Amino acid sequence: MALKQVSSNKCFEGFQKVFEHDSAELKCKMKFGIYLPPKAETGKCPVLYWLSGLTCTEQNFITKAGFHQAAAQHGLIVVAPDTSPRGCNIEGEDESWDFGTGAGFYVDATEDPWKTNYRMYSYIKDELPKLINANFPTDPERMSIFGHSMGGHGALILALKNPGKYKSVSAFAPICNPMQCQWGKKALGGYLGSDVSKWEAYDATQLVKSYPDSHLDILIDQGKDDQFLSAGQLLPDNFIAACTEQKIPVVFRLQQGYDHSYFFIATFINDHIKHHAKYLNA
Amino acid sequence: MSFRSGSTREHETSDQSTGRSASPPVPESSETEAEGLIFYHMDLYGSKDRFDIFPEELSGQGDRSRGDTRRESALSSEKFQRSQEARYDLEREVAELAKMYGLDEDREKELELLGGHLEMVESRWPPAHTEKQQGLPGEASLDEDQSKAIAEDETESHVWSREGLSSSVMSDEWNSQAVSEEEEVANVFCSTCKMPIRAFDKLFGEHKDHEVAQLPSAMESEKEEIHKNMCKLEEQIAQMENFASHLEEIFITVEENFGRQEQNFEVHYNDAVQVLAQKYEEQLEALGEEKRQKLEALYGQLVDCGKHLDACKELTDATQELYLENDKASFMKVKSFNWLEEFLKKEVDLKLSTLPDFEERVIDFSEVEQLMNSINTIPAPCAPVINPQAPNAATGTSLRVCWGLFSDDTVECYQLCYKPVSNERRNGEQAEHTLKVKETYCTIANLLPNTQYEFWVSALNASGISPPSERAVYVTAPSPPTIKSKKIRSCENAALVCWESRDINPVDSYMVELSKLTDEENGNNITESIVGIPNCEVLIHLQPMQSYRICVRALNLGGSSERSEPVLIHTTGTYFCLNEDTAHPLLAILDDGFTIACDELENPECDLPVYDNSFTRCIGILGSLIPFPGKHYWEVEAEEDTEYRIGVAFENTPRHGYLGANNSSWCMRHIITPSRHKYEFLHSGMTPDIRITIPPRRIGILLDYENCRLSFFNAEIAQHLYTFTLHFQHYVHPCFALETPGILQIHTGIAIPRWTALP
Repeated sequence: MALKQVSSNKCFEGFQKVFEHDSAELKCKMKFGIYLPPKAETGKCPVLYWLSGLTCTEQNFITKAGFHQAAAQHGLIVVAPDTSPRGCNIEGEDESWDFGTGAGFYVDATEDPWKTNYRMYSYIKDELPKLINANFPTDPERMSIFGHSMGGHGALILALKNPGKYKSVSAFAPICNPMQCQWGKKALGGYLGSDVSKWEAYDATQLVKSYPDSHLDILIDQGKDDQFLSAGQLLPDNFIAACTEQKIPVVFRLQQGYDHSYFFIATFINDHIKHHAKYLNA
Repeated sequence: MSFRSGSTREHETSDQSTGRSASPPVPESSETEAEGLIFYHMDLYGSKDRFDIFPEELSGQGDRSRGDTRRESALSSEKFQRSQEARYDLEREVAELAKMYGLDEDREKELELLGGHLEMVESRWPPAHTEKQQGLPGEASLDEDQSKAIAEDETESHVWSREGLSSSVMSDEWNSQAVSEEEEVANVFCSTCKMPIRAFDKLFGEHKDHEVAQLPSAMESEKEEIHKNMCKLEEQIAQMENFASHLEEIFITVEENFGRQEQNFEVHYNDAVQVLAQKYEEQLEALGEEKRQKLEALYGQLVDCGKHLDACKELTDATQELYLENDKASFMKVKSFNWLEEFLKKEVDLKLSTLPDFEERVIDFSEVEQLMNSINTIPAPCAPVINPQAPNAATGTSLRVCWGLFSDDTVECYQLCYKPVSNERRNGEQAEHTLKVKETYCTIANLLPNTQYEFWVSALNASGISPPSERAVYVTAPSPPTIKSKKIRSCENAALVCWESRDINPVDSYMVELSKLTDEENGNNITESIVGIPNCEVLIHLQPMQSYRICVRALNLGGSSERSEPVLIHTTGTYFCLNEDTAHPLLAILDDGFTIACDELENPECDLPVYDNSFTRCIGILGSLIPFPGKHYWEVEAEEDTEYRIGVAFENTPRHGYLGANNSSWCMRHIITPSRHKYEFLHSGMTPDIRITIPPRRIGILLDYENCRLSFFNAEIAQHLYTFTLHFQHYVHPCFALETPGILQIHTGIAIPRWTALP
């Protein structure tokens, strides 16, 4: 699994780099961004995985979120993978912005023609960490995950499906209940088929109900003026209700006047980095 | 004599090296003698110059003692030299003594007297030497000479030193004698004649039939004898020295005593003479007066007599004229016959109006008598001088008072009086206490703390009591303060301790003593003291995660009080207390002081007491947090359905408003809506929209002045809930309020959890 450095830029005494590699899981070339804090030059650092939202590549987060300073300060390696396989020549993969390329939805597809390449869940869960741990000064025991929108959904399900794997989880405007929203129905139906019961395995609100009594501190920020919130794509209330029911600790902050953009993310990114640093550096 | 060494130690070593064969006793004795002499002079006259005499000799003699050449000829010359030295010493001594005495001529007589006395005492032992000298004739002349020289040397020096007389003639005598004897060598000892003789004499001379012994063995036994005598001499020297110093003391005492008595006599006789002179004046005056009166009376009588005489003469003349009148009728007309007859009828008073001798007068000598009688008794003492209060002479209940006497008055005891100083109660005069004390100090117990007492003292002896001293005001130390242990506030780096004085009168300052407690020690060692605290409150800087024992003492002029009851302070986390004055009337503080409860929101009777400082609308209370920067953490326990507001507020936050509704308070509010638990983080009435899925039952509050934040946590699961970022202009206090009936339990003294470092 050779890594090919695509770019490297010094940033807050560390380096923001982009690598390309051949993914066994996705059977295509994949890029990911990785920020190595100054601390990584001398010791092993925890890794914080960021999952981006619909239409994004590895570039959006590393160029727009402004997380570097906080990551450098807390000594976190931040890995930002792409959001889907690319260039797999699957028919219809580029047809819409909310399905196919740039919309992997962090599931392992079971339906043809997607099931060969669209295995983002396994890629994020297994292949990528293995690659990162093999090539960078990481502490494999300490990893956390967060994301935005579809990436928020991905972060929540990865954390909820793998109790103890991630020290902490947080999300910006996550798709909390994909089974109940248009984006989710389209993606889950497309990748997993029409059997709704199979969708439950990738629905955070459903997963909460079966989450064992393992401590997980969830932080969610949501812009109040987010058009997708009002469009019913995100449905955080369902998730909050389920967590309240199941006594899963969540702090949900409805941020007055913020929308779904990276401006919103950049505003609260430090809080999230600190939230993770608290558990990763504990 | 030549074996004298510089010091006893040196002498001992040389003694050991040469062995005790020949003549160790001689150097020993001379050594002692030398020391004795020096000591004597030093002791009696304090002349350090005496030391100078011997070191000069010692340098030369050290060499001699090292060499083992005890040739007799050498010895003889040495002896001569020595005797000259000794003479020189003695002469110097004499000169010096004479000089000393010359300086103080007044003392001459006494010294002579003293010297004479000493001489008498001394005369006890020189005869013993004479005997010995007689017992050492002939061939033992060397040793005899030595011992004789020592004995004489000693005798003379003692005599001279005491007498101040020069008897150099005597030393001259024996010097010449010794030299002549040295010239003939004696080798046999004649036991009969007790003298060394030459063998030739035994065979042919007068000792022909006498018993003789070999000179060495005779010498041995004689030397032993001499050694014994030397020891005796030493003893006597020591005795004499003691006696001399004793005499010296007596001498001084006698001088003092007599001087005092002289003064006493002078005073009393002067008094008596004055009284007598006064009497004399009075008598003389009275006598003069009597004389004047008598003379006046006599003179008056004389004048009367003259007048009478004149009248008689006139009458005689008139009668004569009448007698010569021839005219019968006119003669008979004149009634002057009757007139004459009348005059003659009067008797002439020829009695003396006064007697020439003077009246008997009784002269009152009783006063003089009394004066004369009092001459032999001691005078009543002068007033003592009372000392001002010395530092640390007081405790809370006792005072040590000291005084002194300027004069040499004889005092049998002192009478110490005292009473408390009171400015207020003039009428109820404070009881005076009187004590008899032998010493010039007294410790008075059972006094009131932090109270001024007035002391005065009089001296007493058989003749009477002195006037009282000036009055001195002493003050007792204060009572130990009482630390208000429930009001102690502390954090990891400091503690604010307050206390109250148990005295009515103000104290000067307070002192705090703190000791850090470790596992091994029990904290009795004071590690730090803070002094000069003017108020009943102090902020003490401490180290985190330690335990301290803290005591307070009150101080005034009299000293410091006992320690207060100690309090323990743990610098683990922050301790504060609730400020009851701020509590809303419906808010109750339970016995533990940290649980607040509200039973009902409306009070049927609306006459609950409302204090100036208490909340009137919000059923709340303020805590009293230590005003110290850094981090403070505490927790609040609440039931899930309890509605509350908890956070921080400035001390002057409006009492009529709700916490969080203004810009002087920041708090987390929990309310229950029909659908859910609602959490607000209020400041100026504004809150972010935050949902929390697990209602915290134990809320952690971190006030971090350094990082300008106030954070709320679900302490049970270390979940960060919300953080206010703000710059505190002033110190804030914890605040607590209940919105529905319920209970809030406040936990302090909790170490700041690590998970609070980051949200």
